[in-house]
Amino acid sequence: MTVFKYFFKVMKEYKWTIVLYTVLLVGFAGFNLQTSDNSTNFMASKPDILVIDNDNSKLSKNLESYLKENANLKELENNEEKINDALFYRDVSLIIEIPKGYSNGIINNDKKDIVIKSTGDKEAEYGKMLLERYLKISNVYEDIKNEDLIINKINKQLESSVQVTIKSKLNTTELDKMAFFYNFANYSLLAGCVFVISTVLNSFKTKEIKKRTVVSSYNYKKYNSNLFKAGTIFGIVLWLLYLLISVILLGSSMITLHGLLFAINSFVFMICATQIAFLMGNLINNKEALNSVVNIIALGSSFLCGAFVPMQFLPDSVLKIAHILPSYWFIKNNEFIKELEVINVQTLEPYITNIIIIIIFILIIQIVTNIISKKKRKFD
Amino acid sequence: MKKVIEVKNLTKKYKELKAVNGLSFDVYENEILGLLGPNGSGKSTTINCLLSLLNFDEGKIEILGKEMTPDLYEIKRKIGVVFQEVAVFDELTVYENIDYFCGLYIENKEKRKKYVKDALQLVKLEEFLNFKPKQLSGGLLRRLNIACGIAHKPEIIFLDEPTVAVDPQSRNNILDGIKKLRKDGATIIYTTHYMEEVELICDRIIILDKGKVIAEGTKEELKELTGIEEKVTIEINDLNESHIEEIYKLPNVKTVEYEGEKLVITYGKGKNNFSKLLDYLKKEEIYYNKIYSERPTLNDVFLELTGKELRD
Repeated sequence: MTVFKYFFKVMKEYKWTIVLYTVLLVGFAGFNLQTSDNSTNFMASKPDILVIDNDNSKLSKNLESYLKENANLKELENNEEKINDALFYRDVSLIIEIPKGYSNGIINNDKKDIVIKSTGDKEAEYGKMLLERYLKISNVYEDIKNEDLIINKINKQLESSVQVTIKSKLNTTELDKMAFFYNFANYSLLAGCVFVISTVLNSFKTKEIKKRTVVSSYNYKKYNSNLFKAGTIFGIVLWLLYLLISVILLGSSMITLHGLLFAINSFVFMICATQIAFLMGNLINNKEALNSVVNIIALGSSFLCGAFVPMQFLPDSVLKIAHILPSYWFIKNNEFIKELEVINVQTLEPYITNIIIIIIFILIIQIVTNIISKKKRKFD
Repeated sequence: MKKVIEVKNLTKKYKELKAVNGLSFDVYENEILGLLGPNGSGKSTTINCLLSLLNFDEGKIEILGKEMTPDLYEIKRKIGVVFQEVAVFDELTVYENIDYFCGLYIENKEKRKKYVKDALQLVKLEEFLNFKPKQLSGGLLRRLNIACGIAHKPEIIFLDEPTVAVDPQSRNNILDGIKKLRKDGATIIYTTHYMEEVELICDRIIILDKGKVIAEGTKEELKELTGIEEKVTIEINDLNESHIEEIYKLPNVKTVEYEGEKLVITYGKGKNNFSKLLDYLKKEEIYYNKIYSERPTLNDVFLELTGKELRD
């Protein structure tokens, strides 16, 4: 128990480092929580349209009324210069000019073309779609030859407008927030675990102290195993702390299957982070050098693997390099969970594959650590 | 006397260099054995081989009747080591450091508490219980280093240059502590290049040079090897060649050296050497500032055997 107990006593010296990484995580995740909005409801956007009605007929008034329901109709003086300015300065996206004799043209089978001017942006395109929809319906009834009847038929047809709803049941905003939290946790877990465990291990494995330990009657295997146990328990406690923080920040979203998947993924990654810490603690003898290496590992892999900048914005060449880092598979899994609509054994296959890859990393790092530790038992 | 350590033909090579070259010696129960030699003579390498910290190329090491291996924990339990380098945790207090290292041997908490208290008393660090190592002076740090190595009350203690860079007060404390450990029944192997310390505390001395034993015995036995009985040093401003020749002719004189206004005369066995020298100086009206006589030191022994100073 001595080694186990004193691991935590030595670790107490580095408590502020743990606090720092936790504050960073809470700070960034909290900020993200405040700035995200909810995008689960669909609302058609209304383009700004100017309608110039030169016909003033019932039919043209009906078109204007339809557009008014689906767009923001702007009013402007019928002055060509002002109209062009409005378009140039994007006060309106679309100008629809109904020609004189438009209504008579439909009834008498001598159609007059509606003139449009647009900014070409997506709002203008949407405005054009609204107009085309109206004109297509009116074309169907052009043989009726009665203006009131045509208007009646068109309006009935328009009433059956499409209601757009998002069929997906995914709460994308919450999942985005969860993924953001756990992606950032890549940095906090990695930096926290690697820095604290490897620094404490470094104290235990300082040449002089190790010499004193090796000559003692304390079984060397038991000594290493106690250090391993203590380091792993620290990792689990840190992980539980971050899990608790995620529940506090993200609320009930974490008490879902998605939340469970994020938790399992981060747990496996935490084990990997502790293994990296053991490797570093055994490999590097100098505390200052260790500090620099920890920063390179934590910051480097977080940047390369998309913990700070989303993966989709990273160049392919960077992501290719990132494949050799456990963080990549951890973050890839977070991104996968975010998009996961149906959870069953089949859909979880990529998730499980990524977890297995992280476990392979854990095993490789552990083997290397054991080899180094055995070699360093002698002082030749 | 019971033999506690037996070393036979120990050889340790670093590539072509033989750091320890066919070393053989025994250590007996409750003695303080001094391993004396200049830096690089193989003292620390020998200790590290004895403790299984280093693999060796040839030879055999037996401690308490058993061949020493890295996993011989029953024997390791009876050994305490104080290394030359201070080996303590910067993050722990004085008490915690001693408790940790004692805990590597003693599991029982109550027993450990008592042992830690005893160790603190031995090195006189009771007032510094809650100090961190960085708050201690060099001497106090060395004392903490010793406490960490002996707190578990070992039967055999290896002390590898424990007084390097220590102030005189701490050095005296350390040497008193070592004597107390022996009094309490421990066998001590003490390596140093400070001959005064060896003379002060060791029962038996092994002088090493280039990884070999060049002499072994009590300090008296070793001094016998030189054939020098007495060494007289005089500070004289002006001395000519004829005076030196006359002094050389005085009874029992073995060597005469005059350098930098310092005249050093060594004598073989014989009586009234000092008074005969004073008579001569008076007769020749040679005036001197200081004059003192001393017994030959281990450095003289080393000089006699190797032709070089121990601290070269």
